[in-house]
Amino acid sequence: MSFVEFRFLWFFLLVFIVYWTMRNNTARKVWLLLCSYFFYAAWNWKFTFLVLGSTTADYIVGLMLRRSKSPASQRLWIAISVCVNLGVLGFFKYFNFFVSSASGFLTWLGLPASESTLNIILPVGISFYTFHSMSYTIDVYRGRQAATSNFVDLALFVSFFPPLVAGPIVRAVYFLPQLVWPKRFSNIDVRGAVMLFLAGFIKKACIADGVAPTVDRYFAHPADFTPTSAWIGVLFYAIQIYCDFSGYTDMAIAAARLLGYQLPNNFQFPYFARNVSDFWRRWHISLSSWLRDYLYIPLGGNRGSRGFAYRNVMITMLLGGLWHGAAWTFVIWGALHGVALLIHREWIRLTEGLKWAARAMRWLAWPITIYAVCVAWILFRAHNLSSAGTILKQFALFHGGGNQHFHRWLLLVVGALLFIHWLNSRRWFAESWRQWPAPVFAAAYGCTFAVVLLFVPPHYTPFIYFQF
Amino acid sequence: MPHKASRRKILIRAVTNSAIAATAFLMTSIGLHAVLPFPEIDGGVSQKFRFFAAHKDEFDTLFIGSSRIYFQISPAIFDRVTRESGLPTHSFNFGIGGMYLPESAYLLEQILNLKPRNLRWIFIEYDELQTKWSTENQTSRRALYWADWKRVSLLLRKLTDAGADPLWLPNPKKLRDIVLRQKGAKNTRGLLTFYVTQFERNYTNVSRAADVLDYFFRRDTRERRASYLGTASDGYVTRPGGMSPSQAATYDRGLAAAMAEAGTRPLSPYAVEAYRQCATEIRSIGATPIFLITPSTTQINIATESTGLAGVVMAFNNPRAYPSVYRSSVRRDGQHLTKSGAEEFTRIVAANFVELARTGEIK
Repeated sequence: MSFVEFRFLWFFLLVFIVYWTMRNNTARKVWLLLCSYFFYAAWNWKFTFLVLGSTTADYIVGLMLRRSKSPASQRLWIAISVCVNLGVLGFFKYFNFFVSSASGFLTWLGLPASESTLNIILPVGISFYTFHSMSYTIDVYRGRQAATSNFVDLALFVSFFPPLVAGPIVRAVYFLPQLVWPKRFSNIDVRGAVMLFLAGFIKKACIADGVAPTVDRYFAHPADFTPTSAWIGVLFYAIQIYCDFSGYTDMAIAAARLLGYQLPNNFQFPYFARNVSDFWRRWHISLSSWLRDYLYIPLGGNRGSRGFAYRNVMITMLLGGLWHGAAWTFVIWGALHGVALLIHREWIRLTEGLKWAARAMRWLAWPITIYAVCVAWILFRAHNLSSAGTILKQFALFHGGGNQHFHRWLLLVVGALLFIHWLNSRRWFAESWRQWPAPVFAAAYGCTFAVVLLFVPPHYTPFIYFQF
Repeated sequence: MPHKASRRKILIRAVTNSAIAATAFLMTSIGLHAVLPFPEIDGGVSQKFRFFAAHKDEFDTLFIGSSRIYFQISPAIFDRVTRESGLPTHSFNFGIGGMYLPESAYLLEQILNLKPRNLRWIFIEYDELQTKWSTENQTSRRALYWADWKRVSLLLRKLTDAGADPLWLPNPKKLRDIVLRQKGAKNTRGLLTFYVTQFERNYTNVSRAADVLDYFFRRDTRERRASYLGTASDGYVTRPGGMSPSQAATYDRGLAAAMAEAGTRPLSPYAVEAYRQCATEIRSIGATPIFLITPSTTQINIATESTGLAGVVMAFNNPRAYPSVYRSSVRRDGQHLTKSGAEEFTRIVAANFVELARTGEIK
């Protein structure tokens, strides 16, 4: 069940009405928990046991951490939690990847290797709920979060349906305190939430799904296309992935808000970043901050020598890349971002106090950043490394002899969307609708949604981040 | 008490505003649905519809159905035979590849809504109501534009075995099978969801903005139109090719097996109901419905007796009665005829039509 399907509307209406009809906070939480499991079961009911298992393991670890007095036993319990969570993630997501990579490597060395992989289904959203769950035990271990003895609370935190399958990644310290007090409908910003849902819906259903056929066509056979078409294909993919993922996030945040819960922001106009560090402060914020707090800083962060800090950056970005998918293209994508971050740090260090550099960067920072991000997206989207090589040649070197081409006016679409996005970042779209009388707002909203549906393509493209 | 009162106030306000939003949404959707142009549909549907709309009063005979009509009925030959027999006609082939009930019934209704003044005879391909759509075609607009309540309700009735009576009561045994995904109803739940969603998507005008663009900046080319309308602009397109010796041998075996099958199978009450609706609509504009069973190996056992339809059924599904259109030399496959086979079949249809008109069975 996806946020842009009609059946989600009926599902959410039922959840919403029953939820606000209930008065008891525990009953509401149990209702939300059941609905969240139902939401996940709509994809594959068997994997609800995996979510439940992951939750149960971390619930026990949380209680044991609270009970343990010695640091050694606490270390043991947190190690168990990390091993269980990463073990499950590793098995379902990376088993085939590691086996086939090892087999390929042995074959390359000239050693006989037989590749035997299992037909493993990747559970939707496993990377997200595993990180939700791990944040709980790690924060309990660090003493930032009290271990909860309320299983329903923890289970709801892990499986809460809006961010369950594609984020944002929610931390226990952020969400669990919200479960303590009953919500009041009068405190809900219904207008803000439904407008955010509409914005997310437009991003995903109209824009991302609208450009998807062009992107799919190009990336399926890149060698057939001209370099100009390669630019259109790659830029369209940059638009697609942003609108797809941030659209999902908007709808998730809106759905949670309508139930009285807050979710962290995940995007802050990433394509207006002026360097790669800035990009990672604006793109998938919940993941980048998770990796920073639970991986980069524990590795040592910026402490120690420059080389040591750079090593930490590269490890974090490589694992960040691998988190996205079990393929070398994702690892290289992470590596490219890591290298870009290091280049940026070196540039800052070497040009500190140089006025010409600051002046040049005033004009060049944005185009260089967006170009680097798009080059990296090629690795993210390409079917394999050889296909990525072809696209890179076309995109970066304008080299390629394909004869198929997209209409050049599609570049105007890119420009138009970027312009609208820029206006939005400057808050040009007034929030005057907040002042309208409620019935006028409701009527306008209904009409607008009906008009928006005209622009939804007939095909449904699953959310890109579902596969992660 | 004041807290209780304010709770009630909030509730009333929320319900009222939700109702306003829902009403505005529905009214806008219905309004847009009414004013939007005929959708741009692949496979020649739009091209044929536009052409027919522009020439609607020129034709008195219409053939509507799947590729078994599209590639097998030549209006030019049909008109020549009828003219030579003293019953001149001017016919148009509205066959579309892969168009069966319920799509054909919807398209027929749209054609009749154009109020063609001179239309006298409408041949509709007679076959079962199709409930299955291939997964790859489920997201096409072709699977969407016909999904009005009249069509979708019949499909839902068929899928839930609810009967064709006005009172819709799903069969409890069938419902249980659907819920438990029992044998025979494994995919039914998916199909039910699919058709309900198609109905919602159709009435909420999903993806119809493209039709507005197409309406103003028609991207149709003369070549594209000709590829669907044929060289004579009568809707008939020929397809080259025949069967290889091995294909012919397989065909002959399949034909023999179909002929050896005992008994006949009547159409489901849902298909009959759909044809009954078609017949009523056709008669309402003063035309005569004629139901046509084409010569194909999968239709050999369709029963034509006591259909209860207000229209003649012209059946060519008996290989013994019409051996000339079942010979492997005139067939492309079990479903379709070659060009020469199609011409032969058209002549037979025309001759039968003239005969039935003379005897008064077709008025």
